[in-house]
Formats: sequence, structure tokens, C-alpha cells
Amino acid sequence: LRLICTTTAVQKKNVGASGPEKYTEAFIKKQIEEFNLGKRHLANMMGEDPETFTQEDIDRAIAYLFPSGLFDKQARPMMKHPTEIFPEQRKIQWGEDGRPFHFLFYTGKQSYYSLMHETYEKLLNVQKHQDQMIAQDLPPQKEKRNLAGSRWLTKIELEEMLLEKLSDDDYSRFIKLLEKLVALPCADTEEDYIRKFSKEVPMQLQKVVVEPLQYDEQGVAFSTGEGKRKTARATAVVYDNGTGKITVNGTDILHYFPVLQDREQLMFPFQFLGRIGKHDMVCTVSGGGRSAQAGAIRLASAKALRSFVTEKEVEFMRQAGLLTVDPRVKERKKPGQEGSRRKFTWKKR
Amino acid sequence: RIMPVRWSRYSPSYLEPEVKKESYQKPLEELTEEEREQMELKAVRPIKAAPPTLSSSVFSDPMISKFTNMMMKSGNKVLARSLMSQTLEAIKRKQLEKYHKAPENEKETIECNPYVIFHQALKNCQPIIGLSNITKGGKTYQVPVPLTDNRKRFLAMKWMITECRENKHRRTMMPEKLSQELLLAFNNEGPVIKRKHVLHKMAEANRAYAHFRWW
Repeated sequence: LRLICTTTAVQKKNVGASGPEKYTEAFIKKQIEEFNLGKRHLANMMGEDPETFTQEDIDRAIAYLFPSGLFDKQARPMMKHPTEIFPEQRKIQWGEDGRPFHFLFYTGKQSYYSLMHETYEKLLNVQKHQDQMIAQDLPPQKEKRNLAGSRWLTKIELEEMLLEKLSDDDYSRFIKLLEKLVALPCADTEEDYIRKFSKEVPMQLQKVVVEPLQYDEQGVAFSTGEGKRKTARATAVVYDNGTGKITVNGTDILHYFPVLQDREQLMFPFQFLGRIGKHDMVCTVSGGGRSAQAGAIRLASAKALRSFVTEKEVEFMRQAGLLTVDPRVKERKKPGQEGSRRKFTWKKR
Repeated sequence: RIMPVRWSRYSPSYLEPEVKKESYQKPLEELTEEEREQMELKAVRPIKAAPPTLSSSVFSDPMISKFTNMMMKSGNKVLARSLMSQTLEAIKRKQLEKYHKAPENEKETIECNPYVIFHQALKNCQPIIGLSNITKGGKTYQVPVPLTDNRKRFLAMKWMITECRENKHRRTMMPEKLSQELLLAFNNEGPVIKRKHVLHKMAEANRAYAHFRWW
């Protein structure tokens, strides 16, 4: 052994990055104790009762004692329960002798693979059950599972459940396996297991309150609606007992929209409901270009027509795409490119 | 599995809108199983906004809109749309002329509806089989390959437009030339139909390489 003069830094071996800090249980417990003590001190400071000091009171107290004008709410001083601050992590997966607890630890994604194994086991059980039923000459009962009412967990939710990073491929494999399990006729026995991975989707999408009709001086019913498309903003007032006249910003549509396509778009909601000659419309529009203004007025008129029409027809309008705001906007130009997608001319040298 | 095309402003759970009025007036009993499932799905999922080219009026036709979009240059939809309407008008005029000149017994066979002529002409131009370049062992072969419906329609429209843009006298206007080509294609004559037949013959000639296709 030759003793060479070296520094301590060189003697340290190359330790790879160990990932985010792992918090031990004792550490978290200590944090919780400190938080509770701090809560009582804070209540004392504010002159309130330490027993009934809720989280909202804490937030208000901190905002009062440490005022901050920072924009990001997450950057301001906050005092929350340690379970909210420290992300839920896996505790250390191996014992004192260095031997891991789980048998699939060395795969890297132990919870994902154990989940896949479990699901496949359930699949095999269902198939065995099915074979038994066929052997006893009993017909396999197939109850149609309501597909529209539920959805599978998203990748992010599954990651939170397993406390492990997944790739898109892994996630899609898992979903395929679940679908395969559900497709079998005797899958009802494993309903509970499947329910863990599916979520209810609310049947009626965001029940929008349909405003009641308003009446103006002559007793004519009217209703207003607002619409937007790209940068154009429009408001429309639809009157009942009309002749089908449409006025935009004080001028007739024939003069304002010389192009046939725009006029077709304005007439679209009326034609769809079959009420072309029955309503009068007065609208104001600003911003955007020719087609954007037409789209904005279309949306505004469709929203205004909701008050004149039954709920079923409102649903039909929604399914025809008349009531959704078009989210498409102009894509920004990126640095290093000429436009939003077009790159500069590539020169070999 | 839903694959997003590059990326779109809509989330992948959004469904396409259904514009035709008739599909909403069907009573519940007439629907098949699939249609019922589709209806239930539509009731829960959000729906994309209808694009400005789509409308529920009788005059909007998806094939005509697709053709106008393909004819459009630098986003000048107004010009493309006017050219299209002038073409249809020209077809109607030519057919009416023929109709008035024809003897009584032939008057019924002459088709005057320009939309019918347009659809039939494009249908006649659609190739059945296409060729694709497959590289095997260093050499590239032209292998006959079945085409999807979308691809057939696209090829028919593309050939029609390129034909009208290139093989014409400098002074002829696009609507005139287009109406001429459409009428020829309606009667299974003309350069576009010839191009389709050439493609079919090439595919027949390269029949020996058909086994190179693996899909």
C-alpha cells in the first residue's frame, strides 16, 4: 500500500445522484410536532384561542404578519401541515442489512410491475371462472358496463397512486390490460378491483343555467348572448316575432359581410333550429378579422337562442358544436424560427 | 388509444360535431346498438366547435369544401370559393345548352345538376389501386398497394386541379377549364381518366412485386 498525498475530495468515490431527498418517518413526525407547537404560538400571538385555530386562521395570520407582494402564491411565506409541504414519498425500501423488502425492487418500477402481476392474476381467475361456468353448461352472463359514465384514471393520477414515475407506454399497457379484463363476460366478480381504477364522469357536462327571456317595452321577448373567436368579441340581442332581419354594428349584414361564407355562419344557428324567419337580431362586434367576427356572432346568437328553445334542442345545439368557444388562436412565433412553424432556410454551409 | 396529431388546442377527449339536422330527428327506436353507445358517449364528452366552413344549410357539401380548400392559394378562400361557384355555373350553362339542343328522346339522359356531375366525375377519377416505393435489397420497387377512401378522393381531386392548372392555354380561365375537365370525366373521357388508367396499367405491370407489401 503506497500512501499518496491526496485530498479528501479525491478519496470520495463517485456517488451517483440519489434522486430527491428521502425523508425518514422520524423527521416527518418531528415536523408535525413543530407545526402543532407553532400553531399554538401563533394563536397566542394573534390573541386567539389555541384550541380552535383552523388552517384558514393560520393563513390569514401569516398574510398579516409577513405581507408579501410576490406574484406567485407558492413563493409567499406559508405555514401548512407537513403532509402538504413534503411530497408523499416512498419510505426507504430496504432494511438495515441492505436487503429490499419487495421482491420486484430491482426492476426499478416495483409497484407498477406488481400491479400488472395482480391484474393479470385477476384476469386468469376470471378466465378460470368462465371455463368452470362453461363446463357446467351455464351461459356466461354479460352485463353491459356503462362505458359513457366512467373513465379510467389518468397517467398522473396513477403515478400519484403508485408513487412512481410511469412512461406513456407503461400506462397504455396497463389500460389495455384493464380493458381486456373488462371485456370478458364474467368480469363482474372483479368489479371492486376494477372500480379502484375508474372514476365517475359527471353525466351532464357543466349544467349551464339558461337565462329566462326578458321583455322590452312593446312586450316583445328578447335575450342576449356573448361570443368570442380569436380576438373578436361580439354581443347579440335576439328579438322574437321578427322577420329575419340581422343588423351588425348599425349596418345590414349584406353590407357588412360581403362574403357568402360569413352570412352562412350567421344563419347557421337559426337554420339548425328551423327558426329562420322568426327572429330579428341586432349585434355589435369588434376586433378580429372577417371570419373571426362571423364566428363570434354565431356563438353569441347560439347562446342567446338557448332561452327560446327546449332543453333537448340546447343539447342538440351543443352536439352540433354551436355552443363551444373555439379555442384555436394564432400560434406565437418562436425564436430561431421564421414563423410559428416555418424554420429558416437551411443552408448546408 | 387516441394519438394527438402534433398537438391541438382541444384536449383529446373532445369529439367531432355532427351538423346535419336529420341525424337529430331520428326517434330512439330506430337507432342501432352502436349509435346508442355513440349517443351516450356524446352526452358526456365535450364537443369541438364547428369550423367556419361547416354549416347545416343544404348548400354546404363536404366534398365541395375540400375541393375549394385544395384549389386555394395563400389562404385566399374568397377567390377559391368564387372560382368554384363560377365552375358550377359554367357546368350548368353547358349542360342546359346541350339539353335545349338535344332531340326529345335524349333529353332525359342529360344530367343538369352540377353537384351530381361533380360527384360522379370525381368518383370516376378515383384510382382503385396505387403504387408505393418499397426499398428491398438496395433497389426501390414500385409495389401495387390498396388505397384508403380518403387517399383515393385526395388523388382524384389533386389530379383534377394539377391538370387544370398546367395543361391549358394561357388565356383560358380556371372555371372554364375545370368545367370542361369535369364534364369529360363525367363521361369517362379526358386526361384525368387517362392518368388513372395509366396508373392501373403500371400497377398491373408490377404485379409481380405485390408480395413485397407487408401490411
